[in-house]
This record gives sequence, structure tokens and C-alpha cells, in this order.
Amino acid sequence: QVSELVQFLLVKDQKKIPIKRADMLKNVIREYRDAYSEIVNKAGRILLEVFGLQLVEIDTKRHIYILINNLPRAEGQYLCKDKEKEKMGLLLAILSFIFMKGNSVKDSALWEFLHLLRVYPGKQHNVFGDVRKLVTEEFVRQKYLETTPIPLTDPPEFKFQWGPRAEKETSKKDVLNFVAKIQGKDPTFWASQYSEARATS
Amino acid sequence: ENREAMLSSKSNRLTEALEEANRLFDGVCRAREAALDAQFLVIASNIGKEKANELHSEMSAFDSAAFAEDLLTFMGINRTELEETDDSADDEPCVFLPSDAWLKMGEEALKYFRRAPTFHYMMGSFKSEPPVPKQRIERQKKASRGKAERAMPAQLKKMEESHQEATEKEVERILGILQTYFENDPNIPISFFDFVIDPNSFARTVENMFHVSFLVRDGLAKIKVHEDGLPVIEPLKPSGGEEEDSRAGVRNQVVINLNQKAWQ
Repeated sequence: QVSELVQFLLVKDQKKIPIKRADMLKNVIREYRDAYSEIVNKAGRILLEVFGLQLVEIDTKRHIYILINNLPRAEGQYLCKDKEKEKMGLLLAILSFIFMKGNSVKDSALWEFLHLLRVYPGKQHNVFGDVRKLVTEEFVRQKYLETTPIPLTDPPEFKFQWGPRAEKETSKKDVLNFVAKIQGKDPTFWASQYSEARATS
Repeated sequence: ENREAMLSSKSNRLTEALEEANRLFDGVCRAREAALDAQFLVIASNIGKEKANELHSEMSAFDSAAFAEDLLTFMGINRTELEETDDSADDEPCVFLPSDAWLKMGEEALKYFRRAPTFHYMMGSFKSEPPVPKQRIERQKKASRGKAERAMPAQLKKMEESHQEATEKEVERILGILQTYFENDPNIPISFFDFVIDPNSFARTVENMFHVSFLVRDGLAKIKVHEDGLPVIEPLKPSGGEEEDSRAGVRNQVVINLNQKAWQ
């Protein structure tokens, strides 16, 4: 049962959509419901010790899990499809913008920022295609971003924040370092962001 | 409505609006007015939050435009092109960036994420060939499965029929063999066991006994016990008439016990 669950989790993780406990129970554990937590724990151990992956519960109420990499980031080439790499590039730019702007941005502000990068959510992008869909649907479903409507706005506006997957897969400190590298400055240049990054690592 | 105006950090308009709301509320006596007041407070607090946010980032002066420019530089934007085509309309902005711009960005980005590598089955050393035939096979399978299913009900019936037929045929065949043996020499009784036993197959032996039993049941053969105690078999001529009937009355039921050891 445990190895079945391990395989199930690895395959489910391909699209980076978080895995629900209900799916695990239905597809793998089925009749062994009572041993659920034991099976999950064992699967987690195998994932960690054999694959170097961490099974993290990002929603303890609704029991939703993701897989992240436990190994320290290695320098050099990453085995990753080009499409995935490009999306991660865009994502990092967005996460950086959100953090540096105080952890929450209005959707209009985000689109404005993307325009500066020659990415126009209204138009088809030659790399990302339907950018609006990528940002508001795919990244949100994968829990990299979180979007909440701003009340009493007409037409409705949304705000964007980091999603739980982003919180686990990267950190404010890493993102600040990225911004610093890109701008050729020291991270301490942005005092409040720097202290916030230090506080949350 | 005057959101932008209120947002401006130099403006006290938000404070003024709040003060006025306070004054107005004293005159409220209907529920609808109170609801409007509540609505106003929500909007006001949102604006207040935004102002606070702006204050926060202003403290550390993050210039997103400069950040964007630096990102483009990192991605390898060609700036001379940019200056030349500044007059042209903004239809093809992507022209300014090299095609691997975002790829370069992504390579760098991966260093900042602890992303689990996506799991794929390793298909071995074969590269692009398998996918193509696989599709064809799948389509063929689906097509043939459809046909097979349609053929199944018809086929199944046939099979059942043919089972019976097979048995009947076998029985006939055995009858033929029995008759041939008997005709060759009617005086030598044919040992039952010699007849049914297949020295090479126990299963076949049992099958033979099974088929012979039909012959006996239908009155086409009879088994009698020979002098030496062993059963012998001989064909009967099925003839209509009373003789048959009287003989049919002398039927016996015999159970033959034969297991594999005995067979050997």
C-alpha cells in the first residue's frame, strides 16, 4: 500500500497541482482507511529517504499536500522541460514584485508590472500564450499564488499574494537575494524588506 | 469614487471623509442609511489599508520600473533595436527580446525554488519512435475492441453451440472407431480400458470415457464384464422395435473410479 501511495503521489505531482487526502483515500488507500496516517507517514519517509522529496501538508483543515525538494539546491543544469523553466522565470518575477511591494498587490498593479516586461495579459504571448490564464488560474491552482477579491469594488478587483507552495518552495530571503542580484545591489539596500526576510527565515 | 485622490499620501481627504461620516451617522434613523454607512466604512478602511501599504514600501523605495528594466537586461534585451523602433506602434513588443529570454530567466529562477522534479517513467533508450506507433496501436486497439465486442455476442452463441457439436462429433468419431475395430474382428472383445486409455494423457483418457458414456446412454454401445473381470465394450446396432425396449430396461449404472495413479 505504501509503495502504491508513493507512486500515486509522484505521478500526481507532475502537474504541480496539490494532492487532496480524499483522492489518496479513494485511489490508493481505499479499504485501509484506519491505517491512513501510518501509510502516509511511511510514504513520506520513503519519499524523503529515497527520492529526497518532502511531503508537506499545506492545508491542515482540508488536508492538501504538495511535494517539494528536500535536497539543497545544486548548482548547474536542472533536469526540467523548457516550458517549465520559462514559467518559473515568470513566476519568480511576479513573486519578487509582490514581496518587494509589501506582500500584496492589486491585480492592476501586477498587470502594469508585467507590461514593463513585455508581457501583456490581454494578448497572446509567444512564450506563455494566455498569460492571464497562466497567472490567475494555473499558478493559483498550483498554490504558487493566492488571489482574493477586494470587497465592494466595481468592476471587481483582486489582490495577489504568495501562495502556500511559494512559501514552502522558496523564501523571502531567497527572493530578496534574487532582486539584489538583478539590480546589482546589496540586499540591505531595502531595509524593511531585508528585516522582514530575516525575520521569517 | 475619489480613490486615487484619497490615496495620495499628501491628502487628508480620507480623514475628512471619515469625520464627515461620523457626523452624518448621528442623524441616521433608518436601517438603509446605516447600511450605507457600513459600506462606506469598508471602502474607507480598504483605502486606509492601501495607504498604509504604500507607506510601507515607500520606506524602502522599491522601484518596480527599474527592477523590470534590470530583468530585461538580464534576459538579454537588445537595446539598440529598442531605440530605433521607438516610433513604431507597440504591436510587436516581443521583437525586442531574444527568443531564449525567458529560458535564461527560468534557468536562474530554478536556483531559488525547491521544486520537486517531475516524475516521468523512463522509457529506455528509445527516443521518438515509441510515441508514434503507440498512438496507432491504441487507435487500432480501440477499433478492434469495438468490433470484437460487437462480434462477441454472436460469437459466444456459436461457441456454446460448437461445444455441443464438438462433443457430438467426438462421440460419433469414437463410435466409428469402435465399430471399425469390432467389424475387423467381431469375436475378439475389445477391452474397455484398452479402448479408452490414452497412454500419454490422463485427461484424454477421462475425455474418452466421457464420450463413451454417451454411446452407452444412447444405446449405441454396451459395456459388459468379460470373463476375466475386466469390462469390454462393443457397439450395438441401434434398431427400432420392442427388442430394444426390453433390452433398454436392463440398464445399469456403473461408476468407474479412475485416478491418475491407477491410470499410470
